[in-house]
Amino acid sequence: MKKIFVDYRKCVACKSCETACAVAHHPGGSLYGLVGDRKTQVNVRVLGVEHEAFPVSCRHCDPAACLAACPAGALRRDGHTGAVVLNPEYCKACAMCAMVCPFDAISFKVVHRSPFGRETAFKCDLCHEDLKEGKVPACVTACHSGALIFCEAEPLRARRAVEHLKVYLLGEGGEPPLFAHYRELRRKAFARRRESDS
Amino acid sequence: MKIVTVGTGMAAAEFVETLRQGGFTGEIVMFSDEPYAPYSPCVIPFFLAGEPLRHVFWKGEDFYTRHGVTARLSEKVVEVDPARRLVRTERGVTESYDRLFYAAGASSWFPQTDWLDTYGVHGFKTLGDMEAIDDQIRQEGVARAVVFGGGFIGTDAALALRHRGLQVTLVHRNNRLLSQMTDLDGGNFATRKLAEKSGLDIRLQTRVADILREDGRLKGVELTDGTRIETSLLVVATGVTPNSAPLTGGNGGIAVAEDLLIDPLICVAGDVAVTRHAVDGRQGLHATAPNALQQARVAARRLLGEEVSFNGSINTNVLRKHLDFPVISAGRFEGEAVTFERGDLFRRVYLLEDRINGYMLVGDIRLSGYLYDLYLSQKTVGKDIRGMLADTRGDWYYRSVMGLAPAGATIS
Repeated sequence: MKKIFVDYRKCVACKSCETACAVAHHPGGSLYGLVGDRKTQVNVRVLGVEHEAFPVSCRHCDPAACLAACPAGALRRDGHTGAVVLNPEYCKACAMCAMVCPFDAISFKVVHRSPFGRETAFKCDLCHEDLKEGKVPACVTACHSGALIFCEAEPLRARRAVEHLKVYLLGEGGEPPLFAHYRELRRKAFARRRESDS
Repeated sequence: MKIVTVGTGMAAAEFVETLRQGGFTGEIVMFSDEPYAPYSPCVIPFFLAGEPLRHVFWKGEDFYTRHGVTARLSEKVVEVDPARRLVRTERGVTESYDRLFYAAGASSWFPQTDWLDTYGVHGFKTLGDMEAIDDQIRQEGVARAVVFGGGFIGTDAALALRHRGLQVTLVHRNNRLLSQMTDLDGGNFATRKLAEKSGLDIRLQTRVADILREDGRLKGVELTDGTRIETSLLVVATGVTPNSAPLTGGNGGIAVAEDLLIDPLICVAGDVAVTRHAVDGRQGLHATAPNALQQARVAARRLLGEEVSFNGSINTNVLRKHLDFPVISAGRFEGEAVTFERGDLFRRVYLLEDRINGYMLVGDIRLSGYLYDLYLSQKTVGKDIRGMLADTRGDWYYRSVMGLAPAGATIS
């Protein structure tokens, strides 16, 4: 099964993934629909920590602690994509799932899909309906810097292992110079900001 | 092979579904003293709060037909005869089995059983209880209710009725609500905040001494402090007892080991099972849905021939009903306490030899899964724990990975 993988060193914190996710999960399906809409659902969050940025979301664990804990029949694994999918119709926002999620990937609020005008859980659904049409998740499509990629785990792991080994043994590859330069600039900018704050 | 389940609750439903998904095609008979498809006890209070009944049937209303199960409903099993491999019901129906899955759950415990003869006095455990309360509210337009018992079920009941629009008085004998899942400080904090946010009228260190009735109907209750409250609806949630009598003759639950068996043909799971705690190793009733579900899955997979065993229960729980104000806890409240409190947020971890022995999180769900993982794995936490508890931005983990100090105020 393909999953979303994050290379946080490539994230420039542009939040395109957040915007694309919000649009993809909005009934209006357009950027304008999000303006002033409290029910907007964003399933990925770019967490800024000083000069680094971490796009965090559900990892669709297997086995998944949330799936094993749901007492309402609201969570299921999609057979086709392996995504852990929430059915808000059945969700009672009891938080049994969130209680055991190590990644804080499940949140609660009134979103457009919430019935009865009360909060339900919401989480990444891997855009599993779109995947069946051969698309990739909206956040991955939107990511310009290559921080988010959608692929099988094992080939990615093998490729990364070879790359790391090359860097370690031969000093080849590694971060492209421009990239390293950009990251260094950002680190310095934040260090200056920290100094002026204190 | 013919499989019989005593109970159609969460454990039994999960057990049967796992069996069928695993390719088991033999005969399955399920017994229940109630007339329903499998329902979720965690969801039924939401029906009372006004949501559709069909949502309580967490595995679908067509569960029995979909899984090819013979359902013997409204048949209370009163005797299991392991020698002859038979179960017998109150009405005298018998059924033979090759394997028995005993998950009869637990029943409400009432301080005075004769209260139940009065119209307007209810338990809060079964879908039948919910329907009776719902009927009464609809027919009489009940505006005021009293809930006796402020544990998990009682608080759940009070919040559901409050959400329905009733004025609710919650009477609890202890000095704080949810006393089993909180320590004194955390419980006091949770009680105070819940009262503020929900508008419940909470009476602590008080009990319902007697009920006042007229023509067999409830008119009011009298509390131990002498107060009289006029009400036609009383919910009694003062505890539950495991339905172990058909198997053991007593109501103390049934102890099982990792194989969940009490004899080679009888498997026990759910709220009636006494199991070992996965972290501290103590035997006890760990009656929560995740434990029941895990036991059921293990039992089913063992029957399907897999070599799996039950790794133990965990006493973790969360109360988050109708309010965005969760109360979460796990483990034991013994050891060195590290606390963070700010505004609506209370977090406390108990450390024993630098490992998490128990924790409470009140007011916010974040961090709970991470702590749960640390607790389960019994990893050492070091001084990191202080920065972690004070983290309100959700970036503690990432800061620690980057070698940065926690962002917020740390606690000493």
